[in-house]
Amino acid sequence: MKTILAFREEEYAWVHETFPCVHPLLLPLCNKPFIEFLIDFAILAGSSGVRILCDGGLDALEQYCEDGSRWGIDLSYASIHPDDSIHTMLGKNRKFCGEERVMIVSGFNFIRYDKRLDYKNLATSRPTGEWAACPGGRITLTGVPAKTALDWTLAELSLMPLDSMASFYRASMEALETGATRYVLPGYGDEPGCAFGRNVVISKSVEIRKPVSIGNNVQLLANTIIGPSAIIGSNVIIDRQSSVESSIVFDNTYIGEHLKVDGRIASGNRLNDPKSGASIAMEDPHLLSGIKKKWDIRSLPRKIVHAVAALGLIAVFFIPFIILWPLLKLGGHWKSTRADFLSERTDATLPLGKVEVDSSSAQAAIAIALSLDRYLWLFRVLTGQLALIGSSPLLAEKTRPDLLLGALTYRPGVFSYAEAEDWPATGGDATIVERFHLAHSNPLSDISLVIKAFINRLQEKSAI
Amino acid sequence: MTISETSKIGIAILSLNGTLDALSAPEFRNNRSVIDPEKTVVVDLQQVDFIDSSGIGAIVSASRQKRQPTGGIVLSCMNDRVRKVFEITNAQKLFHIFDDTIAAVDFAATRQKSAGA
Amino acid sequence: MKFSLDNIDGQLVGIARLEGRLDSSNSKPFQKTFLEWLEKTPLLVFDCSLLEFIDTSGLGAIVGCLRKTLEKKGDLRLAGLNDKVAMVFELTQAKRLFSIFSNRGDAASSFAAEPNPETT
Repeated sequence: MKTILAFREEEYAWVHETFPCVHPLLLPLCNKPFIEFLIDFAILAGSSGVRILCDGGLDALEQYCEDGSRWGIDLSYASIHPDDSIHTMLGKNRKFCGEERVMIVSGFNFIRYDKRLDYKNLATSRPTGEWAACPGGRITLTGVPAKTALDWTLAELSLMPLDSMASFYRASMEALETGATRYVLPGYGDEPGCAFGRNVVISKSVEIRKPVSIGNNVQLLANTIIGPSAIIGSNVIIDRQSSVESSIVFDNTYIGEHLKVDGRIASGNRLNDPKSGASIAMEDPHLLSGIKKKWDIRSLPRKIVHAVAALGLIAVFFIPFIILWPLLKLGGHWKSTRADFLSERTDATLPLGKVEVDSSSAQAAIAIALSLDRYLWLFRVLTGQLALIGSSPLLAEKTRPDLLLGALTYRPGVFSYAEAEDWPATGGDATIVERFHLAHSNPLSDISLVIKAFINRLQEKSAI
Repeated sequence: MTISETSKIGIAILSLNGTLDALSAPEFRNNRSVIDPEKTVVVDLQQVDFIDSSGIGAIVSASRQKRQPTGGIVLSCMNDRVRKVFEITNAQKLFHIFDDTIAAVDFAATRQKSAGA
Repeated sequence: MKFSLDNIDGQLVGIARLEGRLDSSNSKPFQKTFLEWLEKTPLLVFDCSLLEFIDTSGLGAIVGCLRKTLEKKGDLRLAGLNDKVAMVFELTQAKRLFSIFSNRGDAASSFAAEPNPETT
């Protein structure tokens, strides 16, 4: 039997705003990534192969799940369009489906199942059609059922849509409270209701009240009270005298001293109330803060190469600039408007001056052909605010390009990768080129692309 | 890169073999079925091991020339590497992608029929 | 920040409307302004319905204000805490220190219900 797991980006779009650090399909419920619950169920139902379909990016998911060998199945991926029907989805994956029975799980929903029950027989013998449904999606079976007669009421199966913080909280608590009896949950513990990961440091005076699930590399300092109903992720520190009850603490979070976390979801420096949906970003690091990973050293070589090349360009074009700029400025042909643009970092904007040169005179034509309208931006490369070549800078009012966790989708540069390519890159197509190069470029190829972009602009302007 | 062209139920099937990059993109671009705005083309990528931005550009600009926006060019049998390039660039949203060429042809034929009706 | 005096059942109650943010940038000046209000009456209400954000300095300022009103045998009561600000009070357990009401009217009238400690 085969299983298809189909998702549409809009179903889990809310997760991006509320919990931005994790890919929605990897959202941890009781310290187990969402997708693993579904993979477990697929295996329980007797699947040898699972294919994940999505209309959006699956990069982070693929990096985590790989080829499925971790679970002993064949895991593959494909893309669909958001309005594809089940019939179309099956058509797009005809080779995968073959002649076998296929179970299609669609929607961003939590599946309520019990690992002790026999879903394998049910899956093979249930009639074709819907098995379970909820407002957020359904489980459908295709293909001819085998002829075993069975009692349908035996195995309980239901779906709960994960459409908000509130439902996510409820699903997590359900998974915790039904414990390792119904689902395969991570962690070790000598008694049911307590699951701990690796390297969990618990001070002597700490009180643990069941049920509790704790991840890896967690420190519980003196006199803290954890639980009942506490889910603590990995790389978490709970400082002295604090208590965590009926709450979820996400990975990489620090909870300060003498605090009471009750009925909340703490994620980095954000404290959320699942019942009201309210969310507040703490600015005091000693209350709540995110434990940041080490600064990415890999961006340094690129920044250095870009800066050196920018310096070179500044030197080479200094003389033409210093002659033409005052001439054009005085003649009123050089217009510079300041605006805020999106920067590479998500927490800041970049004020830039956008230069327009109207090309009526010969001097203006030369200035544009030599890309002097971008000259002042070269200095921003030296300060690291702009790359030498990257995405075309977007105005700050625009929404950030689709979040693709695990892959870079926007890095503003003096030149755009789209300008280095020959094919007509208009509007949305430009982002395709930019994203390709952001994923595949290295500092040296960047330099050759800068030269290409420059030449393209030169040819374009001289053709006028 | 070589292109072998066949036809089934009125749909042109282009099987590409090799790498679709800056060198081979023009050959794809200039293919008669690709240029014809009325003709729906299924591009079989099973023997394509790698595609770069020019390759994607060729396929994208070809689809722009078709009368039907997302039906003019249908893709099939991508390997993992090619699929990842489409996903990372978000180009996968512009095409219907199949894992079986016959299924792609069936889909294209139904599209063409409903468009012509 | 607006401050008004109301006569509730013969007692002078001061109602201050807090707006926007109360954080490290304005908590000290806020405490100074508070002393002026305290001069007028030790029975005070903070209407927090327009308060959007508070951090530990802001919280410390409010707790400091409470302490000063208690020294003057009065009380400081809070009204209209929105969800976000209430979360900070609950997190730091500062909530236990205050009488909290849903609106300024209830907070102000709560003073009328009690006999003035000075007169008994």
